[in-house]
Amino acid sequence: MNKIIELTTPFSEEVISQLKVGNVVSITGDIYCGRDAVLPRICKELEAGTWTQRGIDLQGGVIFHTAVSPAGVGPTSSNKLEIEGSFEVLSSKGAIKMHLGKGAIKPETVKMLAGNNAVFAIIPPVTALLESQTLERECVAWPELGMEALYRIKVKNYQAIIAAAKGESIYE
Amino acid sequence: MSNIIEKVADCLVRAGSTFREDQKEAYRKAIADEKIESSCWVMKQVLDNALVAEKNRSPLCDDTGIPHLFLEVGKHQSVTGELLEEIKEGVRQGLRQLPGRPMAIKGDDYARIDQSGGLNEDSGALDASPILIKPVEEDVIRLTVLMLGGGPAIRGITQRVFHKHSVDVVIEEIVNRAKPAVSQLGCSPCTLAIGIGRSQFEATSLMMEAMAKGNFGVQSDFEKHITIKVNDANVGPLGLGGKHSVLATFAKIGPQRASGVRIVALRPCCCFEPRRACVEL
Repeated sequence: MNKIIELTTPFSEEVISQLKVGNVVSITGDIYCGRDAVLPRICKELEAGTWTQRGIDLQGGVIFHTAVSPAGVGPTSSNKLEIEGSFEVLSSKGAIKMHLGKGAIKPETVKMLAGNNAVFAIIPPVTALLESQTLERECVAWPELGMEALYRIKVKNYQAIIAAAKGESIYE
Repeated sequence: MSNIIEKVADCLVRAGSTFREDQKEAYRKAIADEKIESSCWVMKQVLDNALVAEKNRSPLCDDTGIPHLFLEVGKHQSVTGELLEEIKEGVRQGLRQLPGRPMAIKGDDYARIDQSGGLNEDSGALDASPILIKPVEEDVIRLTVLMLGGGPAIRGITQRVFHKHSVDVVIEEIVNRAKPAVSQLGCSPCTLAIGIGRSQFEATSLMMEAMAKGNFGVQSDFEKHITIKVNDANVGPLGLGGKHSVLATFAKIGPQRASGVRIVALRPCCCFEPRRACVEL
């Protein structure tokens, strides 16, 4: 295994542009968590130009496709309609740099990510390990969605593998 | 808390947080044997996760699963309504201790289907599935708690096979169903659970028994054959390629009908399953 690349959020354009498919990265810092229920809501506000009113800065950030419950966190399939459908708006209008989940995504999504200098990374569903590396958690929007609300969590050394970058996919 | 409630609660926590030794050994062997670095990395992460979960008695996966109960009863033992109530309460307490993901859906029939009634925030509100009871020779009452996740439930298939009086035909059909199921599962390497019986109910019951009793270190020729054939698909852990899409197959073949049809229940158990533990009550 090649050397693990240490990354701290938020990511700069330069850091993301150096990532390649197959790189194993270790992520430290604040990341956002959301899945099917909340991602379309964020996209809607980004497209309407009302997202800024929330005071949540997504620039250079990570969206982890997970619920946040007392049981912990763990990736859901990123190729679900509402989740993969959020990649483009979150990348282009929200300046999200890393979509973090699991499963193969479509070739057109891989291409779109490259066009926005963003990447898709997969993280194994290792909830106990992730729980030991999660330092803080806070619900930041739509609390009525419960575990499917938008959360910000502070993490240390979450390991993931780059699955789509520069127009290439690990699944090809 | 009564002794039985306490035992059941502890059993559920162990089921949701612990790899058995044969399961750990299956991972160690696969890690040593896998040539693809990224696939090896995934399996090491899964094994590390299991060690942390066991130490902390915390969930292996955030989808903590739906409790399924398999009860073995010796012929000199009796199962009373009171015992069943205590098992039910033990499940409730265990879910709170783990803690289980709060996944109980509130509301009437319609609201539970479309999820419009919202979720119950109490982890313990999640009902277990109906209990499967099996008579055994041993003089025991033994409960196995299995925690069944959603991903494998989505990809599981229970359907007939026209066997044409050939075991090879049945195996081939199982493999043909398993390959796409494993590929779509996402959270692999997986373990295939299989039950073959005379009806959908019986085949699924046999599959449950296979999950409750299967051992990664003890594989029949039938099981080995299926594992090898599915691994030929080269799906690999998390779909990253490699020889270890499937770590083992747990199959239970029951009585069969005098006809050209066999009913096969197949569940591609995820990388943590079968999450199970047992306790004598």
